[in-house]
Amino acid sequence: MTDAAPAAPRPLIDSNDSRRPHGLLLVAIPVFLVAWLVIWPIINAIGRTLWRPDATGALGFNLNSYVFFFSDQYSINNLTITLWTTLVCAIVLLAICLPISLYLRFSHGKLPAYVQAMAIFPMFVPSIILAYAFIRVLGPNGMVDILLNSVGLPKIRTPYLTPWGPVIGLVWDNIPLTVLILLSGLGNVANQAIEAARDVGANRFQVFWHIILPRISNSVLVAISFAVLGIFSSFTLPYLLGPASPEMMGPFMNRTFREVNDPLNAITQAVITFCFCIAFGLFYVRSVARNQGK
Amino acid sequence: MSVLKITDVSKIFAGPTVAVDNFSLEVANGELVCLLGPSGSGKSTLLRMVGGFERPTSGQMTIDGDDITQLPPERRPTGMVFQSHALWTHMNVFKNLAFGLKLRGLPQDQIRHKVEDVLELVGLAGYGARGVNQLSGGQQQRVALARSLVLEPKILLLDEPFASLDQHLRERLREEVRDIQQRLKITTLFVTHGQDEALAMADRIVVMRDGRTEQIDRPDVVYRDPQTPFVAGFIGTMNLIDGEVTKGRFTRAGLALDIPIPDGPATLAIRPEALDLEASGTGVAQVHRVTDYGTHGLVDLDLGDGTRLKAMVAHPDLFSAGQKVNLKPQAMAAYRDNARVYRS
Repeated sequence: MTDAAPAAPRPLIDSNDSRRPHGLLLVAIPVFLVAWLVIWPIINAIGRTLWRPDATGALGFNLNSYVFFFSDQYSINNLTITLWTTLVCAIVLLAICLPISLYLRFSHGKLPAYVQAMAIFPMFVPSIILAYAFIRVLGPNGMVDILLNSVGLPKIRTPYLTPWGPVIGLVWDNIPLTVLILLSGLGNVANQAIEAARDVGANRFQVFWHIILPRISNSVLVAISFAVLGIFSSFTLPYLLGPASPEMMGPFMNRTFREVNDPLNAITQAVITFCFCIAFGLFYVRSVARNQGK
Repeated sequence: MSVLKITDVSKIFAGPTVAVDNFSLEVANGELVCLLGPSGSGKSTLLRMVGGFERPTSGQMTIDGDDITQLPPERRPTGMVFQSHALWTHMNVFKNLAFGLKLRGLPQDQIRHKVEDVLELVGLAGYGARGVNQLSGGQQQRVALARSLVLEPKILLLDEPFASLDQHLRERLREEVRDIQQRLKITTLFVTHGQDEALAMADRIVVMRDGRTEQIDRPDVVYRDPQTPFVAGFIGTMNLIDGEVTKGRFTRAGLALDIPIPDGPATLAIRPEALDLEASGTGVAQVHRVTDYGTHGLVDLDLGDGTRLKAMVAHPDLFSAGQKVNLKPQAMAAYRDNARVYRS
């Protein structure tokens, strides 16, 4: 009779080659879906706007739709208002969310918990509800107007249907994510690092500028990048709250496609929007990589 | 001259938790005083109050007669070295040290000169361009010390600075820190829960418990002449035996010793090195284990009721497990109601 050798404990992750296809199969479906629903439409859109038939019907490299976009004042105005809205939103978001995050990070007790709940609340409100709430409050004959009227004051100049309408809506919509990302970054700043700075003579502003801000620069980049990418290509809020002309790229694309029935220019606008977003994305990746390199 | 005076300082946190209770202390010029106590004894809270990171609920603190009680940390003439080093990882060593000097508006060449001097002092000359993450734990702690010293504070505050270091490095650094402190003659308040550190470094030790002072004395006095059973048990190894005194005789599980104090319960304290053993078939204690450390031996003993005692012996080979021994204390103290009532 021979003794059976004790079975070796099975590793949690089996590196055996024969098991590798299982792992690949697990990621295959999402990879396929991303390739099908994201990558392919991008390639297809770029191809359809760059390789088009000329007057004779021959297929060839053709930049006419892009030339049209960048020579059309209306399109330029729409791109400009989109960039302006994105920039203003990013600045306002930082101006609002950084103080909120600093307050939440360095305060204790019940009040900060309520403030945090209020800051996160917009995350649970759909954009369309937010837009109509905005109209009912700040729009013509909205709650603010009624209140002003009741005390005999003149009506406000409503931001509704002006470029400031989408700015207010988008900022409100993006506050939760921005606060959460900044708060996560601030969580990595040790209390003792701050106390050490105060110990060597730094006042509160100097602590913020020289110690906290450099330590959360990555989080600021992430927060702003996420916000910028979302805002640049946003649709619902600019569509419901923004002016008819100029309009942001989201509503512009929709109108060009549906109302003007001009798929080629709509796709061209989409490709240009995508290029801006990818530029923001690359800037973000480069900045984060450089910061990590330091 | 820099004298730190703490008068009747208390700190009550929400709860209410009394972290520091009516604490008073005067630290003389150039003196190194250790705040020693177990976790939760209030020593770190007290240090943080001196540094300005906590406001006292009541009491007053002065440095050279100037009231600093309500001053924020940035306006106090103190320098603190934190347990976690608290170096700014986005700055290199030079920038860490120069930051405080820049805030004071010193010219660049003076900053460079001061930083190089202090790096030399802590044995890190030439390390200015290094990132703090490229340094070892010991080097990081030296940078943290240098960052405080470069500003020439009147009072140096050390908050368990060696707690995160290994034993070997800790012993080396505490000698270096003590040398630097004595060379600069800087008044220092040092928090630790390590009695070895306190005994090795301090001019005086403040033993704290539950926010109060148990004893303030020189290290040798605290060790040899503890005023309370807590200090006796906390500093070094001590045999603490609870028993009863009747007609001047302390008894516990067969152990009987003459202690001329009034009748009643008492706690007897005997250091292992002051407890001589005498082999006897009718001894009151039985040897449980003998450990030979080369230079000396440590004998674990059990009284009849299982009370465990320790005795330090010069010749451990003379004793073995199971052997009966009699106890001959060469020095002992007795405590009652948290105060010493007898000492021989």
